[in-house]
Amino acid sequence: MQTTLQSDSTQNETTKRTETFVQTFSKSHTGLVGFWMLVIVVVAAVFAPWITPYEQSSSTSVGVEDIYQPPSVDHWFGTDDAGQDVFTNFIFGSRVSLTVGFFAAFISIMIGGLVGLIAGFFGGRWENTLMRFTDIMLVIPELPLLVVIVALTQPSLSNIILVIGLLGWTTTARVVRSQTLAVKSRKFVLRARAIGAGKFHILRRHILPLVMPILVIQAVLSISLAILNESTLSFIGLGDPAALSWGQMLNFAFGRGAMSAGAWWALVVPGFGIVWVVLSLTLLGQGLEQVLNPRLDTHHLMPGKPAIQKEAGAKPHHPDAVLEVQNLSIHYVNEGKKPARAVENISLTLRQGELLGLVGESGCGKTTLMLALLKLLPAAGQIVNGNIFYDGKDLAAMNEAELNQVRWSRISIVFQGAMNALNPVRTVGDQIAEAILQHDPSFAKDKIPARVSELLELVGITSEQRDHYPHQYSGGMRQRAMIAMALACEPQIIIADEPTTALDVMIQAQILELLDSLRKKLGLSVIFVTHDLGVVAELCDHVLVMYGGVTAEYAGVDVVYNDPKHPYTQELLKAFPDLTKPKKKLSSIPGYPPRLDNLPAGCRFAPRCPRAFAPCHITEPKLYTLKDNHAVSCHLIEGANAN
Amino acid sequence: MPTKLEKILEVQGLKKYFNAPRTSLFSREELHVHAVDGVNLTLRRSEVIALVGESGCGKSTLGLLLMGLEEPTDGSIIFEGQDITHLNDHERKSLRRKIQMVFQDPYESLNPTQTIGEIITEPLIVHGIGVNEQERHERVVKAMEDAGLKPADVYLNRYPHELSGGQRQRVVIAAALVLEPEILVADEPVSMLDVSIRAEVINLLAELRITRQIAVIFITHDLGSVGFFADRVAVMYLGRIVEIGTMLEVLEKPKHPYTRALLSVIPVPNPRLRHERIILKGETPNPINIPGGCRFHPRCPIAVDVCKISDPPMRDFSKMHQSACLLSDDSK
Repeated sequence: MQTTLQSDSTQNETTKRTETFVQTFSKSHTGLVGFWMLVIVVVAAVFAPWITPYEQSSSTSVGVEDIYQPPSVDHWFGTDDAGQDVFTNFIFGSRVSLTVGFFAAFISIMIGGLVGLIAGFFGGRWENTLMRFTDIMLVIPELPLLVVIVALTQPSLSNIILVIGLLGWTTTARVVRSQTLAVKSRKFVLRARAIGAGKFHILRRHILPLVMPILVIQAVLSISLAILNESTLSFIGLGDPAALSWGQMLNFAFGRGAMSAGAWWALVVPGFGIVWVVLSLTLLGQGLEQVLNPRLDTHHLMPGKPAIQKEAGAKPHHPDAVLEVQNLSIHYVNEGKKPARAVENISLTLRQGELLGLVGESGCGKTTLMLALLKLLPAAGQIVNGNIFYDGKDLAAMNEAELNQVRWSRISIVFQGAMNALNPVRTVGDQIAEAILQHDPSFAKDKIPARVSELLELVGITSEQRDHYPHQYSGGMRQRAMIAMALACEPQIIIADEPTTALDVMIQAQILELLDSLRKKLGLSVIFVTHDLGVVAELCDHVLVMYGGVTAEYAGVDVVYNDPKHPYTQELLKAFPDLTKPKKKLSSIPGYPPRLDNLPAGCRFAPRCPRAFAPCHITEPKLYTLKDNHAVSCHLIEGANAN
Repeated sequence: MPTKLEKILEVQGLKKYFNAPRTSLFSREELHVHAVDGVNLTLRRSEVIALVGESGCGKSTLGLLLMGLEEPTDGSIIFEGQDITHLNDHERKSLRRKIQMVFQDPYESLNPTQTIGEIITEPLIVHGIGVNEQERHERVVKAMEDAGLKPADVYLNRYPHELSGGQRQRVVIAAALVLEPEILVADEPVSMLDVSIRAEVINLLAELRITRQIAVIFITHDLGSVGFFADRVAVMYLGRIVEIGTMLEVLEKPKHPYTRALLSVIPVPNPRLRHERIILKGETPNPINIPGGCRFHPRCPIAVDVCKISDPPMRDFSKMHQSACLLSDDSK
């Protein structure tokens, strides 16, 4: 009973996996076209005797008048030099081409796959020997070698298959090896070793399933390559005389005066067959790659039409603020998908010299909000409502040219993960100089080195390190360099998006101290984005807590930590380890943050909220403002002391 | 409490040197990265030790050494009286059941092509545990429920990408528990998770040490995250343990200036408790050229001349509290 259940569920699982594959594949138009093109050829090859009007090589009574007959009702594609029906030979020829293609590709894939797997997985001596051998094979021009070998052996179909297969595995070996290396270095392989799994188990269960997609794509491409090679060989007269392939049809037509006789059909028809099959396989390969190669995944989302419904004539409420965001909403709109309401109705005010902490968990929309401030959102991200006032002007309404006046020179960003944000092949000093010139081309060239040194000194990097490359810097230094770059044009506002997340506590403390001193020294306003409530408590003036794309709580730093009103803020603080009470058990918030394309009805925090009551699951709470501009979006506030 | 329990793991003078990449094509000088440079440590049954230090201090390498995923250069590891420093493949495999590991990144440490059921059953198949499908299934369900994946049926046929970070980390823990290990080496198991769900993974580990008597080595750069559940803390710097003691002793009376600095920079989520932070200059030096004398002296805020010459040994400050600093006095 139990076992049947088990096998039932595995079977279901396999069906489900196949289903999702088919679903994704059917969205790839190129792949589908290639697939059906190939199906036509395979059907034709299999049912050749039933499709063709004549038997193959049925040239019982060939008269001169039968040779090179133009297409007619009797001979759709005309006749060839031997008076045979070209259509019949064409259909039967597909059998030869496909046979060679499939079997030769099978040989190449088996050899290439094995060589690549062994070289990639075992490394060391194996890898050296196998890959050097592969390199030698790659250097030898394939076609001449093919010609020589086939010419020296019996030109039988099996020999041709063998030779093409044995020479065509090198690319597969290289591709499989690099994929194996990539998979091998992933953590789940280390975990499998930690479990105690042996090498062959790891190869079979962990490496092969992830190499398989690449192998399938390679197989499709190998078939088309093998068919092309066979055609070439046959065309130059090295084919198996007993098996009339398309290449051989070309050879005969070419060699026996089809050109001079004006019998174009004898050449065009087999040529068309070759092009058709190779094209179908190439398209199929492309389609498979789109589905099977995870790296190409997201690029196929098409941004949908925005639904902008902005109110005109909005004005900033706080003229003294350097940045004021009013009711900003951002949706990700992808064609054929539900829009994700990533940010909804966020308002914030940033004053001169203020450090605002923007706190939220992953996926709460905080990075989207920051990117929107400079309109750097990906194509699908649309500002659907709201205003961003900087210096009296609305950034949300600006065009690219106007925005470029503001980006970096007035408002700059320090990103998380400084290694990816720096160009590895140019010195740090060079990149800072470029940032200066980009925004101020009139900057005196001779003063640039001094300015670069000054900027680096400001962030605690000595001028000797100016000419170093990013890889010579440590993580903390790179983040300092990024800050120097952000300061290059003397901006008024710096947006720091999780600048310390990947860093150690001590380096984090150094960077925080640096940001704090810079804002005091230069009068900067800083928006500090983080998932870590503890980090911002140290230096912020105001804190905005985001949850599921909306403001949960927005207030002065002391209020947020010592008198929080939103249950999310309260629970988050309880989840935070407090070393002054080391033996206290940590509380966690049950459940997980909502997906922005599938938000719960009512308050977005309600499903995880310990104090939720009926209305919370029905209506979204509005943002209540308590004394001292303490903003909270929670139904519990109503009836209490709301205005 | 931990002193009464039997020792299950004893590490002595453990070293791991890696060959450093040569600085130039023609240099013949062989350089070594001193990743782990003489570590002594004992672990008792169901004890939780937090191994704390900055990146590059060797804490992760130490974890891999204990797991036998790296071969030590020198020193010994004794597990339940048996020397496990160097083992052949067969002995290593049977030992694997006893010492299991939880990795930092739950997104990377699960094979995306396996279902949760397959992932958690795999260790049983590898070790040939369970006479039939049904017995294995029961063990898998038990491990999943102990790891908080309840009810197990909901998760069995899902794929890792369908789960959240916290759930994935539970899957990793379940796949370790299914072998019924005695030691769990957890390498930064929560640093990739959101704050609101970190606590649940830590609480889960805290529960397991009680329900299953599992000893945990919790490797982290963030002392704050383990404060409440570790019995002892070992602070590592440049390949060595520079201070070790019970959690309370280390938190309240840190002896090593490095520990004091680390404690002072832990963010406190309350602006009213803003305090003086000891921010060390620079970063952990390159473990290829370990500074002479006390290895911490170039960054030490209180170093004196003698620190440049003499390498301080571990000194006892109480029965459970040792630190390697020449200057820390017993009264402090």
